[in-house]
Amino acid sequence: MSNHTFTRACAALAITLVAGSSLAAEKKLSVGVADALTGGGAVYGLPQANAVKMAAEEINAAGGIKVGPDVYKIDVIAYDDKANPTEATNAVRKLIDRDGVKYILGFCCSGSTSAVASFIGNEKAVMLVGNAAERSITTKKIPNLVRTRPPADYTGQAAGTFIARKGQKRIAVLGALDVGFYAQYVDSVEREIKKAGGEIIAREVFSLKDRDMTPQLTKIRGLNPDAILVVGYVEPAAFVYRQAVELGMNIPRYGFTSGSEEQFLRVTTSEQMEGVWDLRPTELTLLSASKNGVAYHANYTKKYNASPSPSSPYAYDQLYALKAAIEAAGTVDNTEAVAKALRNLAVPPQVVMQYQPVDGKMFDVNGQAYTSNGAFQWQKGKWVFVEDLPSDSKAYSQFLSTLN
Amino acid sequence: MLIEILQQTINGLAIGGVYVLIALGLTTVFGILGIAHFAHGSISMFGGYLTYFLATSQGLPVLAAIPVALLAGFLLGVLVEILAYRPVRNANHINAFIVALGLTMMVEGINLQLFGHEQVVIPTGLTRVFRLGGITVPELRLYVIVAAIVLVVAMMIFVERTKTGQAIRAVAENRDAAILMGVNVRTIPLIVFGMSTALGVAAGIMVGALFAIAPGIGEGLVVKGFAVLILGGLGSFPGAILGGTVLGITESIAAGFISSAYKDVIAFVVMILVLLIRPQGLLGRAP
Repeated sequence: MSNHTFTRACAALAITLVAGSSLAAEKKLSVGVADALTGGGAVYGLPQANAVKMAAEEINAAGGIKVGPDVYKIDVIAYDDKANPTEATNAVRKLIDRDGVKYILGFCCSGSTSAVASFIGNEKAVMLVGNAAERSITTKKIPNLVRTRPPADYTGQAAGTFIARKGQKRIAVLGALDVGFYAQYVDSVEREIKKAGGEIIAREVFSLKDRDMTPQLTKIRGLNPDAILVVGYVEPAAFVYRQAVELGMNIPRYGFTSGSEEQFLRVTTSEQMEGVWDLRPTELTLLSASKNGVAYHANYTKKYNASPSPSSPYAYDQLYALKAAIEAAGTVDNTEAVAKALRNLAVPPQVVMQYQPVDGKMFDVNGQAYTSNGAFQWQKGKWVFVEDLPSDSKAYSQFLSTLN
Repeated sequence: MLIEILQQTINGLAIGGVYVLIALGLTTVFGILGIAHFAHGSISMFGGYLTYFLATSQGLPVLAAIPVALLAGFLLGVLVEILAYRPVRNANHINAFIVALGLTMMVEGINLQLFGHEQVVIPTGLTRVFRLGGITVPELRLYVIVAAIVLVVAMMIFVERTKTGQAIRAVAENRDAAILMGVNVRTIPLIVFGMSTALGVAAGIMVGALFAIAPGIGEGLVVKGFAVLILGGLGSFPGAILGGTVLGITESIAAGFISSAYKDVIAFVVMILVLLIRPQGLLGRAP
């Protein structure tokens, strides 16, 4: 081989290698997000979408998703479903049919999520549900659907035990009881309170758009309850807490809302919130967070100039679970294999929430993950993690498996 | 029981005051120009957002931000009349109807773009609560009720006792006769829209301080405003005042004594019942 030929061969090899590596670098995996980016559900949906984008940037910066010799960089396409079933269906159809997306994350709110869950089983796609807490989403055994947040009644059972232990017997409920998962939460609380000899003496309702809850609270005040339980979205719930104080109701206030300090303080003062309990999954608060949680909080705050909502890591964790499942399945194209890998996945080390694996796996046979539950109390302007609530993920998983 | 009824009445008075202001704005426009001004609720919300913006981002005290927002509301009303409704004044009624719907969507969009999707609460710092017997009245609600009364009285004095007010009433009664009597009918709609929008902005500020301003709230408010108009009698000022107060208190008492789940339904059932007995509304004139 002449020097000239050798040089040309080297050049050709170099070009091939460079071209090859650049082709690998250009491989892109589009991941969809369908979530409430505007409207009443945006307090949960927008932070979830932000969390997915942040996780994608982190994964890309760390080298992407490795599938055999290929490396995929994640591209996030996010659509606003406004927490509305029709909008959610349209958003997901657009992601699948027009954008060719196979993996769809987000899903903060139960109504919109249930609408998508009703047809996702027929699609060659994998759906990862976040904050939506309606139980039936994971009772239908949809093989290509998993959820990072535990169902509401799993948490309600633990909450009921906690309230009963506090000794309050006559509990008045005020909440978004026309939303299935909130009603399920209250039903579970009621079962536990009844076991302890107590009762729910009122079930008053507010809707997502209600901001004046004084009529309901006045009625409740007249019944002289030992405590009130507020279940619903952050914004109306914040008004309940504020208006209860304005009506002079000096009784314990329990809640199931998952709002951040920032979200509550837009409506109430810290003094009006003092002493309120939030009985919910042990989501993100600095006092309860793992090392990952602390880093997540810092990175999110830096990137978006706002604190992350406590439930936003459900979506962040979705992407890390998906990454691990794709790498385990060794494919991005075979969604069935990835869905199977998700159900066999151990909890990835990068996740923020503190999951309680069932038989060593992050998701149980129903596609459901479980976090621990906790009692948080508002103390001097902050949610303070006070204690874990008793939660048996394995027993609940078995119960869930019996439902259709 | 009596205490609960009184408490529910006071609860309802504050929201009733808001309904009255919205309905007064709508009834003025409808009575004089015959326009169903659907964008009124969204423009009210714009006023609330503007007050919030001035008080938070610009650091103005709320008491200083309110008159600025009211003035801006008046000017915005004048602009709306000139740019949106004047061109279709002599056209078929359906044109003004479509303009009103389009304007609603446009203002909602502008609110969303300028102020974002999140709900905002105007920070007043008024957190004291007055107690009398078993009744509690938050300071802010009391001021809202007083402010609504002051605005309504001021509006009534303006319409009844001033020359411009008389001209407005003359145009409402008989436009042609008013022209013959030398009333400048080109400026009357400007004043009417300005006043109406300023009242709407006042209602928006009250909603923003008592509750919250968010996308979509204005639409609900304007529906209630039209319900008040029908309940009180189309084009009747005293009817709007009575209708708004009745609707606010009915909602509160219905939620307290019947069911919070059907709060809105019960209020509208009462409206239908009133209309069955008095089709012209509580204080409307029989045709």
